[in-house]
Amino acid sequence: MEQYSETAGFDLIYVITNCGTGSRVLQLAKRSGISGGAIFFGKGTVSNRVLKMLALSEVRKEIVLMMAKKSEGSNFLKKLNKEYKLYRPDHGIAYSVPIAGICGSRTCNFNITDEFGGMENTMYQSLIIIVDKGKGEAVVEAAAKAGAKGATIINARGSGIHETGKLFAMEIEPEKEIVLMITKSEQTGKIVASIKNNFQIDKPGNGIIFVQNVDETYGLVE
Amino acid sequence: MNVVSEKLKEAVLSVVPIIIIVLILNFTISPLDTASLLKFLIGALLIILGLLLFLIGVEICITPIGQLMGSFIAKSNRIWIVAVFGMLFGFLISIAEPDLHILAGQVDTVTLGVISKLSVVIIVSLGVAVLLSLGLVRILYNIPLNTTLFVIYAIILFFSVFSSSEFLAISFDASGATTGALTVPFILALANGVSALKKDSAASEKDSFGLVGITSSGAILSVLIMGVISNIKGVSGSLETAASDLPGLIAPFLSALPTAALEIFCALFPILLIFLILQKFSFKLSKERLDHILIGFIYSFAGLVLFITGANAGFMRVGSIMGNDIALSGSSTVLVGTGFALGLVTVLAEPAVHALTNQIEDVTSGYVKKRTVLAALSIGIGFSVALSMLRIIVPGLELWHILLPGYAISIILSYIVPSLFVGIAFDSGGVASGPMTATFILAFAHGAANAIEGADVLIDGFGIIALVALTPLITLQLLGLIYKIQTKKKGIEDNGAIF
Repeated sequence: MEQYSETAGFDLIYVITNCGTGSRVLQLAKRSGISGGAIFFGKGTVSNRVLKMLALSEVRKEIVLMMAKKSEGSNFLKKLNKEYKLYRPDHGIAYSVPIAGICGSRTCNFNITDEFGGMENTMYQSLIIIVDKGKGEAVVEAAAKAGAKGATIINARGSGIHETGKLFAMEIEPEKEIVLMITKSEQTGKIVASIKNNFQIDKPGNGIIFVQNVDETYGLVE
Repeated sequence: MNVVSEKLKEAVLSVVPIIIIVLILNFTISPLDTASLLKFLIGALLIILGLLLFLIGVEICITPIGQLMGSFIAKSNRIWIVAVFGMLFGFLISIAEPDLHILAGQVDTVTLGVISKLSVVIIVSLGVAVLLSLGLVRILYNIPLNTTLFVIYAIILFFSVFSSSEFLAISFDASGATTGALTVPFILALANGVSALKKDSAASEKDSFGLVGITSSGAILSVLIMGVISNIKGVSGSLETAASDLPGLIAPFLSALPTAALEIFCALFPILLIFLILQKFSFKLSKERLDHILIGFIYSFAGLVLFITGANAGFMRVGSIMGNDIALSGSSTVLVGTGFALGLVTVLAEPAVHALTNQIEDVTSGYVKKRTVLAALSIGIGFSVALSMLRIIVPGLELWHILLPGYAISIILSYIVPSLFVGIAFDSGGVASGPMTATFILAFAHGAANAIEGADVLIDGFGIIALVALTPLITLQLLGLIYKIQTKKKGIEDNGAIF
């Protein structure tokens, strides 16, 4: 059974920004050496009583998800902070979370071993799988066959280094689906392998899987 | 950035282009008198304000209601409920549509009462009801959109053969009349609510579009059939086309306001009524959400009233003066060119266009960008207004000379481009022909037709909406073709990363 050891040195970066700037954030990231990312929509709320009374308290946000080497990622975040003035209130949020394992990216030093590594402390792991639009459902099925209990699918758009189509001056960001699941650590390898084999994730252009360690979970019923 | 500043930016950016073009024309080929110019600017201000309120209203009220109703009828899991509610929604929103009443009045006049106003309103509403319900059933049974459209337009073609050319124009105009600023966001959201329940995410995405297109073809079919059955050979009579021109700057707006308020109230009322009934028996939303939606109703109402008032009192007169002036003084090239430019910018200010582009961005998570769709739409409407001017200048050019090849190309394209874009394109047809086109572009065309000898205000006036509904079908599907070609992944064989 395959397991994923701590691939130290890689971070998953989240940038939550105003609607419409996601694509520009992604382009900045690409210029900073990050190979690609996925963007999806979210809703934020404004804590302003007048706006709330006028039913105007919901704001559309874009969330940009990317993976980067620790050094590259922190460079990018610094640049982003400066360029988008994140230090001011209401200008967006960015943070990074370490990744335990990656599958599907050639620019990353993908680390796959047969040993259990770096997960003695964690009961559960979080899987983030990004595939082309329409495949999300099949990913969940493949994961379920390997013992996963459930998953959440988010519609997104994204671009990597294969997706360089342009529409006049504008880059096309094809549609993606992000599948989120929480799995037991000892099942992670099996589930990842099942998805990997079904979708040939290790061949370029077919998707990517991140594994992250989870400290606490609630609501998972055995 | 909060919602208000975001929407304000959107509203300003949509209306500023048309202001710029009119100002340019004013200082070059078609100088306006000061009063008209000032009225135009006041109108533009009202339109910006109205658009701002309306866009907020659509987001927090019309769209959620449409989605709730869509998912309500789809979750019932009974085909008769879908069909019956589809008919009910279709009939009520169509019969309440102010544009339809105007069109019906015109039909009554030009057929010298052979086809009465009431019968037009009821029969078109029935046609819309049947086709809306058919469109919903199509989504649930996964019948391909291009096949559905092919069948519908084949039937339309069959009846067109027996129809006089004037009546053909009226029937295609009817398609634009039934899809007004309020109905479009509602039908879009309805389709979205039904298709969102599909497990297959790709199908659920593409089926969010196309319902507006199918629904508006119901209007074409019903008017066409009505004309063939009543055996109308030609049309006669004359229409009151000149915009009323009250003295003073504010008086025209004040006199347009109550009419607009009544119209919008009538259009909004059935949606509110169905919503409140379903809220009581089925949705049972929390108090907070209900309050939001009800406040949203006020926004939508106030927004549209301001918009229509501004367009009717401020824009119509300027449109007809400019059409007249340019046709009299300029060469025909200038007229066609100006038509193109006006078409480009007018569509940006259509309220329903923003509802469509927002839903496209939402459903595709930003893959198909707003700006891109707007650009394609803009070019399309530019061509359609230019073609309308050409029709006024060239007497031999009949409407079907353009419609037949246009629809033929559209149907062929629908088998080539991704279905998502087929739906978007056919929806845009109905979306583009809203209150802005109905006031400004129609007035411009009437003005031009008045000035040119041999042009008939009546015959050349009809058919413009038909062209406005046609060209986006082609430009947006071509956009889809470009997307299809450009979205292919490159360099997979290389030893590169996926991500």
